[in-house]
Amino acid sequence: MKEGKLKNIFVQGSITASFIADSIQKHSSKTGIGGHSIFLGQVRTDEINGKKVAAIEYTSYEEMALQKMHEIREAIFVKYELTCMHVYHSLGKVPAGEICLFVFTSSPHRKAAIEACSELVEKIKAELPVWGAELFEDNSHQWKVNQ
Amino acid sequence: MKTDILLFGQLAEQVGAKQISLEGFSDSETLIKALQQQYPVLSQSKYIVAINQEIISGNTALSDNSIVALLPPFSGG
Repeated sequence: MKEGKLKNIFVQGSITASFIADSIQKHSSKTGIGGHSIFLGQVRTDEINGKKVAAIEYTSYEEMALQKMHEIREAIFVKYELTCMHVYHSLGKVPAGEICLFVFTSSPHRKAAIEACSELVEKIKAELPVWGAELFEDNSHQWKVNQ
Repeated sequence: MKTDILLFGQLAEQVGAKQISLEGFSDSETLIKALQQQYPVLSQSKYIVAINQEIISGNTALSDNSIVALLPPFSGG
């Protein structure tokens, strides 16, 4: 069975610009870092059959998602020479235009950070049990499909 | 023998419940068949199955208090 405490990645609601700025600032003491790579996912105002997406509401099978994220994290640390890695994903409602995913990798040289960040984003979208309901302005909704 | 079934996303919405408990099932295939009979909407839905957070492929034995999760296509990020 699952052991130990898994690192939480979930944030209630939007991920704020100040949270992201603080996260960057915290790395100033890690002077072995030569490059950061950051991916920010933003809720897009898709228009479907004339109706605009006003927000996405995220839910997750949290225990399984955190376990899966732990496995992804371990594999990425083995594959790339990273100094650190941070992942945050929203739960609950995130309005269009706001940030719902924050992936942040750092390494002594840029390539590892960039490639690890990109691979992490793909894995997060494909492998984490998270679901997004696209909420329209008229209060109806549909379930998001990842491309 | 008790099995807890967790439903997520559109499946929870279609079935109208996030959790169901059923008694007397010893493998995933018969459990899923019974669920599909009780909730016909499940027959038309796309999902994968996890037992105790591990995704399964094919019929898998259940033990007492297994947690079976029906997971529609992921759409995080």
